[in-house]
This record gives sequence, C-alpha cells and structure tokens, in this order.
Amino acid sequence: MDTSLIVPGVIFGLSIGSIYFLMAIGLSLCFGLMRIISLDQLLYYSVGAYITYSVNLHTGSFWLGVLAAVAAGAAVSLAIERIVFRRIYERDLTFSMITSFGVLLGGVGIIKFFWGLVPRPVPVPISEQMSIFGTEIPIYRLIVILVAIAVYIAIWLFLNRTIIGKAIRAGIENVEHVEGLGINVARLFTITFLIAGTLSALAGALHAPLIMVDPHMGLEVLAFVFMVVIIGGLGSIKGTLISSIIVGQVVSLGSLIYAPLAQMAPFAIMLLILLVKPTGLFGSVLLKR
Amino acid sequence: MNTGSNLLDVEGLSVSYGSAKVLFDIALTVGPSQIVACVGRNGAGKTTLLKCIAGFLKPVAGSITASAASLVGLPPYDIAKLGVKYIPQDKKVFSDLTVRENLELGSYATKDYNWEPVTTYFPKLKTLMDRKAGYLSGGERQMLMIGRAILGNPKVLLVDEPTEGLAPSIVSHLKNVFRELSKKSALIIVEQNLPLVCAISDKIYAMNDGRIVAELANEASIRVEVCEQYL
Repeated sequence: MDTSLIVPGVIFGLSIGSIYFLMAIGLSLCFGLMRIISLDQLLYYSVGAYITYSVNLHTGSFWLGVLAAVAAGAAVSLAIERIVFRRIYERDLTFSMITSFGVLLGGVGIIKFFWGLVPRPVPVPISEQMSIFGTEIPIYRLIVILVAIAVYIAIWLFLNRTIIGKAIRAGIENVEHVEGLGINVARLFTITFLIAGTLSALAGALHAPLIMVDPHMGLEVLAFVFMVVIIGGLGSIKGTLISSIIVGQVVSLGSLIYAPLAQMAPFAIMLLILLVKPTGLFGSVLLKR
Repeated sequence: MNTGSNLLDVEGLSVSYGSAKVLFDIALTVGPSQIVACVGRNGAGKTTLLKCIAGFLKPVAGSITASAASLVGLPPYDIAKLGVKYIPQDKKVFSDLTVRENLELGSYATKDYNWEPVTTYFPKLKTLMDRKAGYLSGGERQMLMIGRAILGNPKVLLVDEPTEGLAPSIVSHLKNVFRELSKKSALIIVEQNLPLVCAISDKIYAMNDGRIVAELANEASIRVEVCEQYL
C-alpha cells in the first residue's frame, strides 16, 4: 500500500463515516425508543439528496439546497410518522421493518416519477483543497466531518441537557415507566422520528456532491448503515459514533489494501464484534429490556 | 357502587390476556386518605388490577372512575395526569439518569418542582442527587420511585409490592412513609408482607384466581391470621 494514500484514505473514511453516522443515529434512536426498524430513513436520505440537487440546479446555491433538504426531510418524516408509524408502534418489530421497507420502496417510486432514472450530479460546493501532512485534502470532506461532529455535540447536549432529551433517554430504558409518570410518549416518539428524518435528509444532502444522486442511493448504503447501528449497539449514540468511524475507516483503508475489501471487510468486522459482544459495542442495557 | 365521595371506584372490572380471562367482575372503592391493600397468592391478579387501573391494560368490561372521571380507554400518561400514579414492583429506575434527572422527569410531567416532600420522606436521596440511579441499592431505588411518583400530589398511588426484597429497616421506614403519604393521597398497595399490610391498611381486599374473595374493613378482621386464610 502506498503510504502517501493513508492521510487522504483516513479523511475519506472519516467523511464517509460521518455520512453513515448522520443516517445511523436516527435508526438507532428510533429503535432505542420506539422499538421500530425504520428503513424509511433511507428514503429521507434520498429525498435530501434530490432536493439539494434541484435547489442547487435552480438557484445555484448548494447550501440553500441543504437547508431545503433538511426542511423537506423533516416534513416528509413527520407526515410518514403521523400517517403510518403511529398506527404500528405497538406491533411486532418485524411489522415495522416490513412497513418501513414498503414506505421506502414506494418513496423510491415517487422519486423515479419526479426525477427519472438517470443519475444526477451535484457539483461540489467548495473545490479548494488544503494540505494536511503534505497531502492535498478536499475542504468539502473536512466540512462533512465537522458537520457530523457538530451534530454529535448537538444531539449529546439535547439528550443530556434538555428535559425532552432526558425523557427520551429514560424512554430508551423503559417507555412504560416514562408514561406512568404522566409524560406523553407519543410526543417523544414524534420528536425522535423528526430528528431521525431530518438527520437522514442532511446526510443525503451532504453526500450528494460526493456521489451521483440516483433513486436507489438509499438501498446502496442500507447494509453499511445497518452495520453501523448493529456494531455500535442499538439505541446507543456513542456506539453509533464509534462504529461509524470504524466502518468508514474499514471501507476506506480496506479499499487501499485490496479493493474488494471495501465491501467485504465491514461485514467481517461486524461478525467479529458480534462474536465478542453480541449486543454491539454499547448495546447491553437495551437488549436486557 | 359509586358513592360520590370516593377517590376511586372500580365496578364490574374484567380483564383478559388474549382469550384468557384473568380478572373477573372486580369491584372496589378507595376513599380519601385511605390505605387499601390487595393481598393474595402469586397469580391472583393483583398486579393486573393495578396495571389496569393505571391504563397499561385495557379491561374487557367494567368501569374505573377517579373523582368522577372515567379512566377506561385513557392512555397511562393521561391517567397519571389525573392524579392516579402507578409505582411498579420491578424497581426499575432510569438507571442511566441521575437521581436528580429521575426526579426532574417527575417534575416535568406534573409541573411540580417542589422536591421538599420527597427529601423530607427520604432524606437519603438528598445526598444521592448526582449519582446514577443504576448504582442505587434496592431500597434507594424504591425511595426514588416513590419520590418521583409523589411529585404533583397525586390523588391515588398504586403501589405494587413495595417492600419485596428490602431490608427490615427500610420496610419499617416505608411503613411510616405510607402512613404520612395517606394524609395527602389515597393508596392501593399490593403486598405480600401481611404484618405491614395489617398495620397500615384501612381496608383489605383478598384476591384469588382473579376474583375478590373477601373485603376486610374493620379492625377485628384486619389481622394477619384472617388474611392468611386467603393466601
């Protein structure tokens, strides 16, 4: 392996890990609190990317596109939560998985209807590079990493410093007890779902300039995002952060060593971690419930 | 029968788990400042009764009325807001949250930020405010669960097996706390500890196989020997 590729490889891994983190955090919170597998988060990711593409195309402003994407992700996820998920929260876990997969496929169909099948390019908003250890690194990838760090800090502050966040943490441990205190857990579910949908859309918006935006982009990252959630431990924010870094690095550095490793190695890492710790890195409390 | 002066009236209550009926035609009343106990063997339906009153289980028949408001069909958080609070037997506090955060949630739900009654009943909690609840002993957890439930001055407390697995000194402390609490709230206590039950209760319902088989409401009948007949 060419050692001069290590620094850009690490940065690439961190940026791709940041995208996985933004998507996985919502999936993880949704499972932790509501005990649902919300595959439709991948739809909000695609919606975020397409809205960014369209707004950027018509206004020339990528960052306006990101804002519009976040707003659209919030609106769509709120509508889906109200129309679909409120009716199935108390059902079996597999029910939510199948339902959300249906929402995802239906959503992909709507995307195809409006934007067609042809992959769409989104130009990188900042083409400048900066030198790190003598290697030129695209500034945009650093920005993606910084956004993910800012989101982690914001989510941490929300969960630890606000009463709604504390109620969500308590609900992750025991929803019945939270409800027994007189707290409307349906409202907590909506807030959590909204956060998840918004972050998924943000992930899609930020990822758009790094890939080609196409209707199946959500399905393409499905396996990696699930790996992040499972390795980190379902419901754990800290676990999600660490596992997204691990998976990002394995994908990036693995491809430097031997290209097929980028796809295969994360599965091997997941199996290894699950063999040692079946509940994921930080998932023990949840699975005891 | 609803007398109008009762804080809680349960009439003709039946509950099923799927096709298996577990409570049959339950009727009970709780008056202001009363401590009412439910005793019976394991599986008699005591916890099911409390969970049904608290809204965690839906009855297939019957009525539950608290201060003229029907509780049937209401979600648990609305029932709690009406002043009927359930303290489960599992002693599962929010272990990842500190004692202070656990109490904050009780305050958030009730908008009652006066923790003085809690720390008066349980002075030990004052010294544990910043400790994660997961590190508390069984007795401390029970104190915390009662503490966060009494915020907002509930009308009726549904207390499920509060002394199970606790040291005698803590049981004795809780006995005094329940007596004090009854000055402000009525209590329904499900409990296996018959000496405790007989010492604090104004009325005892004995349950067997999902039915109330006896109502002991006078001093002569509220005795351990009498209760034992129904276990």
